[in-house]
Amino acid sequence: MRIFVVEDEGLIALMIEDMLEDLGCQVAGSVSSVSQALGWLAGGGEFDGALLDVNLGGEHVFPIAEALAARGAPFAFTTGYGEIPDPRFAGAPILGKPIRREALEGVLKGFGLEG
Amino acid sequence: MLRQTKSRTNREDEGAALATLVETIEDLSMARNIDQVAAVIRSAARRITGADGVTFVLRDGETCWYLDEDAIGPLWKGQRFPLTACISGWAMLNGETAVIGDIYADPRIPHEAYRPTFVKSLVMTPVRLKNPIAAIGAYWATQRQPTEAEVMKLQVMARATAVALENAALYASLTEALERRKFLLRELDHRCKNTLAQVQSIARQTLRTSRSPAEFTQAFEARVAALSRAHEQLTHEDWGRAHLGEILKVALAPYGGVDGVRILAEGPAVSLTPECALDMHMTLNELALNAAKHGSLAVDGGRVAVRWSVDLKSEPRRFDFEWREEGGPPVAPPTVAGFGRRLIERNMARDFDGEADLAFEPAGVRYHLTAPLSARVSLA
Repeated sequence: MRIFVVEDEGLIALMIEDMLEDLGCQVAGSVSSVSQALGWLAGGGEFDGALLDVNLGGEHVFPIAEALAARGAPFAFTTGYGEIPDPRFAGAPILGKPIRREALEGVLKGFGLEG
Repeated sequence: MLRQTKSRTNREDEGAALATLVETIEDLSMARNIDQVAAVIRSAARRITGADGVTFVLRDGETCWYLDEDAIGPLWKGQRFPLTACISGWAMLNGETAVIGDIYADPRIPHEAYRPTFVKSLVMTPVRLKNPIAAIGAYWATQRQPTEAEVMKLQVMARATAVALENAALYASLTEALERRKFLLRELDHRCKNTLAQVQSIARQTLRTSRSPAEFTQAFEARVAALSRAHEQLTHEDWGRAHLGEILKVALAPYGGVDGVRILAEGPAVSLTPECALDMHMTLNELALNAAKHGSLAVDGGRVAVRWSVDLKSEPRRFDFEWREEGGPPVAPPTVAGFGRRLIERNMARDFDGEADLAFEPAGVRYHLTAPLSARVSLA
């Protein structure tokens, strides 16, 4: 499974990438801002699911979530907040920080089912 | 007989007005905001004073704002006038009650504003004697000298209103402080979890590249200490932008600090986002730790030059950052690309949206980062 990672903190991105590889996934792309992510998507990057950090340096990730929802691509939010501050995505899976390997595995399984 | 009846009725009226005044004071003490204060005055002031109309006026900067009214005919509800051009302004500016039996005989009254109204006489009293913040007016449709009792009742109401407005302000600031506290606690929780995730990442990555528990402990502690310095500095900056010069000072302090001799730092004033500042802290720590163990900071006479520049002529404008070691022992390329290397190359390139390169040159380690100027890194 190819996963697209959007995370503004390098340290945490490194860990997510490692965890994904440990679980047999490939990191399709890894970016740290909304504009980079939109650029990556526009560039035709291929992926099977995405992990989205909610707060990207003060900017919300929701434009990306919107773009992914529009193309029917599965995604989950990674966040230290308990809830998603946008009612449109209240039903999306949440991967809490710090990230547990089992929780990430569960989210990836969900991607498989939905995809 | 007739006289007796009249005086009893007057006494009954007086009694009812006093009861209303007491109730009004109680209601004012319960009001939680200006609208509630205005509502209490609107509903009670006419009954208490027996006037044909009342207004509640707020001072808003240099204007009087006729917030609310209750009258037999329309007055000035919703309108604003300069403090110097109306009687409520006069009352507030002078901290005095104006008692006017014939408004057209009084030069303090802007007669034009009164001609469309029923008003012939009035009492206007300021709310709060020191620095009045509002005024209450009572108006009559007949030319008459307002009685002492009427003036006093209006003044009593104004004093209760002053307390009510103070309460409302206090209540608002308390509510705001509580909201702020809730928000800060939520932010703190978020930041804690984020920090834990950072530590989790450091632990995982360090474990991966350590050959013994002792090596793990040493590397892990050094990295957590770097993270801690970064957090301390960012907290100091309210988690806003951080200056590169400051980052260097703080990050290299455990390695002897930027002393201009062993460690030199040179470049224009540049600032980074908190995320990039944290990356820079971690990167400097990796470089310095390596230099102190195997590189130029491990020997006498070894030096590190940190230089950065901004090229405003290139398109896009660029930021260049270089760490160059000199005078150290001969450098051999490492055999393992450990966490440190991933952190300072791939991770820095990703977060600065540029390129990062670590070179083990014979003369010494050289690290180079180049990135377009953006919100991430900009001239301070």
